[in-house]
Amino acid sequence: MRAFFVAASLIVIAAAMPARAAGSKADVDAALKAAQDAENAAGALKNRWIPTEQALAAAKKAASAGDFDTAVKEANRAEALARASIVQAKEQETAWKALVIH
Amino acid sequence: MRNSCTALVIVAVFLAIAGAPPVTADDATNPEATFKAFRAYFTKKFPKLALNDFVNGPYSMDADLRKQWQQIEELPPYDFAIERGKDMFAAAFKNGKSYGDCFPDKGIGIRQNYPYFDEKSGEVITLELALNRCREANGEALFSYVKDEMASLTAYMAFTSRGKPFDIKVPNDPRALAAFRNGERYFYTRRGQLNFSCASCHVQNPGNHIRTEVLAPALGILNAMPIYRSEWNSMGTISRRFVTCNSQTRGVPLEPQDEEFRDVEYFLSYMANGLPISGPAARP
Amino acid sequence: MRSGRFAAGVVGVLLCAGSFLSNGVSAHAQAPAPPGQALAFDRAKGNCLTCHDIKGGDSPGNVGPPLGDMKARFPDRSELAAIVFDETKRNPESVMPPFGRNLIMTRDEIEAVVDFLYTR
Repeated sequence: MRAFFVAASLIVIAAAMPARAAGSKADVDAALKAAQDAENAAGALKNRWIPTEQALAAAKKAASAGDFDTAVKEANRAEALARASIVQAKEQETAWKALVIH
Repeated sequence: MRNSCTALVIVAVFLAIAGAPPVTADDATNPEATFKAFRAYFTKKFPKLALNDFVNGPYSMDADLRKQWQQIEELPPYDFAIERGKDMFAAAFKNGKSYGDCFPDKGIGIRQNYPYFDEKSGEVITLELALNRCREANGEALFSYVKDEMASLTAYMAFTSRGKPFDIKVPNDPRALAAFRNGERYFYTRRGQLNFSCASCHVQNPGNHIRTEVLAPALGILNAMPIYRSEWNSMGTISRRFVTCNSQTRGVPLEPQDEEFRDVEYFLSYMANGLPISGPAARP
Repeated sequence: MRSGRFAAGVVGVLLCAGSFLSNGVSAHAQAPAPPGQALAFDRAKGNCLTCHDIKGGDSPGNVGPPLGDMKARFPDRSELAAIVFDETKRNPESVMPPFGRNLIMTRDEIEAVVDFLYTR
């Protein structure tokens, strides 16, 4: 009987605990690497954006503070920004000509 | 899943880079035709503006600002920079030589010839670059392109050329034509999170204002450099302005005197051929 | 003793199940978006006043048209949202930043800004 109540209390406590999301160290490393790789590619196109660098810095800071959830979130945001900057650079390779004064 | 996705991005970009070097001259590269079209666009857009007045940037666009400017010019905020630049220019390097030894005509009254295309090295040489190369050749440490020493030197050299028309040459050399075209490309290319090109503000919206700041026309936009900018409470070189413009698009700025920056300075200066040097100058 | 170990086993399974369940709920919970006016006037977000005259704002720019009478001018809400998301789709020469495409604002934030614009 006592074991049952202990188990029940533990279940209640477990259900009340906030979730551990995707944030393991391995997840953080993978997310950071993906973001940095994309940002390096944007750099090779000479089109890095300031908010990308800010998100990357925030991700690294969160990672060293052990806040893996934030680190993954910020790294994912940095990767999305880097990809958008790459899309811009690629489109602009030809799109600029349309704006030239004739 | 994420790793293979990233790998695809990297490969695509690598292929893109391999196939897309800085723009080379193509059949469309015709500096004279480009010049004519550029000039016609701005004179048609502002038919009442005297051609030489374009070099006054926002002050040519807005009468109230112009009145403020006339008051500022009674005690020009860039005078100290000219004085300092004059002293720096005359002072000898440790090896006994001085700036005058690096330039034609001892460096006096030559600002309007910069940038030029150096056929020996195959690159665009700006005045700021030439000054630092002079220092380097004479065993002196380089100056930052965005700080006061470079601003003072270029302020003095601009001052000795005041009133002289820009006289930029694009020789019939494929490398020079490529640099010109690359500068044109840079000027019209959108960049930064905010997706602005130089043209967004200075071709599409001269005379309009963003918040309270009046936008200058691209025609003659470098004639007034270096500027004393009230917003900065200090002088600013061409390099400083380009770097700041990058940041204002939320793009990470290129390094001062990056090839792209030199090429766009080359392009813009050529577009201003015939317009008088007005630098150093005040700006809001 | 056997019942204790059994209970512990059940607890273990339920703990794992519990963490999977809460994973689905709180990982996607978001703070509610700030009101649209704050977003529109925030320089880091909409920054609309830089180019547009909007009632309630100071020192507006004039690069873009004044934003008034919005409900009448844009009866189709999705059209207005699309303009904020990426106006270059409609006008390739537009200097309006693509707030959605370039991740300056989230879709929720854009919807909040549209809500606000409909009051102007």
